Amino acid sequence: MALIERLQNTTDATHWRGKIPMNYVYTAGRAGEEFFKNLKRGRFIGARCRDCETVYFPPRIFCEQCFERIEGNWIKVPNRGVVHTFTVCHETYDEQPKDKPSIVAFILFEGTDGGLMHWIGDVDPEECYIGMPVTAVLKPAKQRKGGILDIKYFKPV
Amino acid sequence: MEITKEMIERTVTPLKKKDLGKKVITEAWEPKLEYAWDNGPALSRYLAELKNGRLIGKVCRKCGRIQLPPRLFCEQCWVPTDDWVYVKDTGTINTFCISHVDWAAGRLDIEGGERPFTPAVIEIDGASPGEGILHMIDGVDPDKIKIGMRVKAVWKPAEEREGSITDIEYFKPIRPPAKKKARKKAKKSRKKARK
Repeated sequence: MALIERLQNTTDATHWRGKIPMNYVYTAGRAGEEFFKNLKRGRFIGARCRDCETVYFPPRIFCEQCFERIEGNWIKVPNRGVVHTFTVCHETYDEQPKDKPSIVAFILFEGTDGGLMHWIGDVDPEECYIGMPVTAVLKPAKQRKGGILDIKYFKPV
Repeated sequence: MEITKEMIERTVTPLKKKDLGKKVITEAWEPKLEYAWDNGPALSRYLAELKNGRLIGKVCRKCGRIQLPPRLFCEQCWVPTDDWVYVKDTGTINTFCISHVDWAAGRLDIEGGERPFTPAVIEIDGASPGEGILHMIDGVDPDKIKIGMRVKAVWKPAEEREGSITDIEYFKPIRPPAKKKARKKAKKSRKKARK
């Protein structure tokens, strides 16, 4: 099917600019609230299921393996983990080049069955490896708001 | 399995707006959702004509349809469309809606006097039956709007038009001439009865 009409002037081709307004306000949930309240104080907590002994980190209010209610079974978790997997990012999420590459990783926390996703810092991308022991570097207490960015990054031990 | 009140109390934490950020920790985020949508040749002309205060459609010679808004091809016959033809800025309401929420799904203050939004599909005079455009109805009480109601576009002044569907502010009802005749007839028969 051949179109028999074309625009003679490229400036006749118009486009419509728009913006979709969207505002999110997230709450952390009951277990998440407990996790962030503790993080604000510089502490890591998980939730332990007494039945199957799974340790959820970040904590949950129900065990997804046995449906046991585990709200309140908070346990202290040491600030120690290992790099489970990582990615070296040379571009931002909207494809702009970065001056310095950054490393984002999933850190498996010691003594738990879970972990956190966060930046790895104080190390060159070439030196980073799976299994690398790391520890979280927190913002000074006054700057912590009770969010995941209360952790600045994880650094090698 | 029945959901009991106790189950809900054990898992749901009801929050009021004032609790956010005070009673509970919150994280706010506004994603950057900007776009530039290419209008294409047919719609580019349609929008340019709106700026001139006119509605324009396109003819498909194969099925004889006057298509509005115009497109470069007839989606029913799968052939390129032919001539451009101006249509009127009056029409008939095909369907409409009385909305108590605004475009951002926020509640309108109806009790406080805000008028509900009344979008409608208007079959424009000069285009084929069923060829309608979506726009707002105003200048009439929402409860008085009827399917089949005759309406006319209220245009923005020329300096304010920018080549957008919003160059028409809204459509307002016009009294159909037939009704005028019926009113005159009724007045005449009332006068006769009084004698």
